[in-house]
Amino acid sequence: MYSVILTELGISVFDDEKLEKAFSFSNPVKEYLLVKNKESKLNELINYLISIQRGVSVSDESLLAILKKNNIDSQIMEDSELERIQASKPQIIVDSGFASNPQDALGKLRDFALGLSSSKVTEVSESPDLHIIQAINSLDEIDKIANALSSRLREWYGLHFPELDNVIDSINGYAQIVMAGKRESLTKQVFEDAGFPESKVEMLSLISTKSRGGDISDVNLAIVQSIAKQILDFHDLRKKLEEHVESEMETIAPNLSAILGTAVGARILGRAGSLKRLASLPASTIQVLGAEKALFRSLKTGSQPPKHGLLFQHAMVHAAPRWQRGKIARAIAAKAVIAARVDVYGEGLNNTLLEKLNVRVDEIGKKYENPTEKDIRRPESFRRDGGNFRDRGGRRDDRGGRRDDRGGRRDDRGGRRDDRGGRRDDRGGRRDDRGGRRDDRGGRRDDRGGRRDDRGGRRDDRGGRRDDRPSSNKNKKRKQFGRR
Amino acid sequence: MTDQVQIKIKRENSLEEDNPSFFWIKSEGQQKLATENLVPGNQVYKEKLIIKKGIEYRLWDPFRSKLAAAIMNELEYFPFENKTKVLYLGASTGTTVSHISDIVGPSGIVFAVEHASRVARDFLDRVAAYRKNIMPILQDARRPKEYFSVFGKVDVVYVDIAQPDQTEIAIDNCEMFLKKGGYFFLVIKTRSIDVTKSPKKIVEEETQKLQSRFEVLQSIDLHPYDKDHAIVIAKFRG
Ligand SMILES: C[S@@+](CC[C@H](N)C(=O)[O-])C[C@H]1O[C@@H](n2cnc3c(N)ncnc32)[C@H](O)[C@@H]1O
Repeated sequence: MYSVILTELGISVFDDEKLEKAFSFSNPVKEYLLVKNKESKLNELINYLISIQRGVSVSDESLLAILKKNNIDSQIMEDSELERIQASKPQIIVDSGFASNPQDALGKLRDFALGLSSSKVTEVSESPDLHIIQAINSLDEIDKIANALSSRLREWYGLHFPELDNVIDSINGYAQIVMAGKRESLTKQVFEDAGFPESKVEMLSLISTKSRGGDISDVNLAIVQSIAKQILDFHDLRKKLEEHVESEMETIAPNLSAILGTAVGARILGRAGSLKRLASLPASTIQVLGAEKALFRSLKTGSQPPKHGLLFQHAMVHAAPRWQRGKIARAIAAKAVIAARVDVYGEGLNNTLLEKLNVRVDEIGKKYENPTEKDIRRPESFRRDGGNFRDRGGRRDDRGGRRDDRGGRRDDRGGRRDDRGGRRDDRGGRRDDRGGRRDDRGGRRDDRGGRRDDRGGRRDDRGGRRDDRPSSNKNKKRKQFGRR
Repeated sequence: MTDQVQIKIKRENSLEEDNPSFFWIKSEGQQKLATENLVPGNQVYKEKLIIKKGIEYRLWDPFRSKLAAAIMNELEYFPFENKTKVLYLGASTGTTVSHISDIVGPSGIVFAVEHASRVARDFLDRVAAYRKNIMPILQDARRPKEYFSVFGKVDVVYVDIAQPDQTEIAIDNCEMFLKKGGYFFLVIKTRSIDVTKSPKKIVEEETQKLQSRFEVLQSIDLHPYDKDHAIVIAKFRG
């Protein structure tokens, strides 16, 4: 029986040890891969094999598939034979005339290996999921920088117009006002152009006339304004990145995006490394991606394992009562893996995943409507103290209004959850919204301690729990943040 | 066979004393580990190059390479020498691979497997492109059957892939490519297997898995060069 042997440099037909015919590759990397992907035509080889009218044994599964497709009587070689070929590959290459001597064969094999590896590296760096990961990471870094710069801006411009800080939450809005110049030049028009509602415009022009801030020199103002300009530029860039991530995610991972939303989806993707890797992870891992530290700590010390990492940012988790979050995160993670698999291996958007998730989350909401004893007692196990917190803590106290708002927003979001499909259509509005929210969040996320106090408060509203917390303690903490 | 490669690591070994594989070289008042640079002038990880008697040596940093750390910690078996064939899993950016490439020389060969394309790019550009005895294989060590351009059996399999199931992966590779009586180096990153168990226990458990196919020769804690790492050296029964 003839044997057909695939090598990196060509395909050879042997009768026992004797070469019958060799077909060398002119571009080995390319042609070898074509064979491996079963995309090769191999006309010459096929014609030859047809002409000799014999059964052949083949060294490679892909090559076998191509031959079979062409109705050539062929079968895969026995293991012992394959082993022999593997062991004497350089010699086979020489015997086939693909190289002049074993040394030459080695050199050519190495060129092949280098070429193949390089082409793989290039191929991978072109893959869209890696670019999405870079984009979402840039976005998060921009947020960090913009938040830090904005604190500085508030402090510096605050020497001139201290009252503004408490009135304006949005980083972008604040920067736009700074761009208009000194207090005296802040007309109603400026505030309107910055997009504030009428009621706020009134208040702003009122306080700008009554400000107790000091004067600011032109030189100082110019610098402060260039900081503000940077922040505005970052804002634009951020928007672009966000839109880019969104459209890319919907293209390469529509199902994952449907389950997680594009932003959270992209972050999870970033943690996993690639869409393929994500698709191969167990749901339990996805559930806690982003909480690796807490996970390892819990494995080591036996403390409570984390219930969610990045998934905390998911509207469904975030909006749910604390004791339901772990369960909801688990449900989302389970659907997310399936979604990622459909994105990698299947095609198109599969709506039933999201529908099922919605059903499950509603179930959780009903079944665990009330917290159990344990949920109430649970200590704050992941308290974080110290560190470089931003000077936001104090401000948040003044934001009583906002906190009420939040309660409302949360209900809102609950509602939004049902009509997810629709949600995506009116994205424009929502995204602006979100941009704002996320900016806020950046801050909130930094000072966890504060946030939790906050939430403690929220929780009070909810069920009147946590009243037992000494409030003086809370205040002390806030002040400390405030001073930083 | 064992005796052939069993080495005595004498720190006072000077360059003059003939050691075919690696060298102790005086640098900054200390005896330091080095290999003879296969590609003079070529640096891989900003290691120091030293020329003595017209020969260029690259210092081999035990804080950067676990094999060097093992030598520092009284490694007793060193099967890498001129002409050795090595299958190396987890080449990463090629720090250790480059020194092995120095040692095995132009007639030796290192099949270097790495699957992460990010590090592979550095490995290709800085190491494999210059060293003709390296066969880069950008593939997953879990699927040894699909390796391109590996041929024949090797003398040593060196595994440093930091995977929870690395021992199983390594054994599969040895079965396919390690010659009978060949040597097996397994770097155990204890924390990557199970964070809850003690490192010592993990090394023991991983060693257990080798017993049926290998004769375990030595296991070395890499402290203080590397925490939570160990290397196990074994001989393949075939
Ligand atoms: C700890 S590093 C190796 C360091 C290197 N041995 C040295 O001493 O310079 C582990 C490497 O193994 C690679 N790796 C992990 N799993 C692998 C697999 N299944 N196949 C191939 N490479 C893998 C990783 O990408 C990583 O680069």
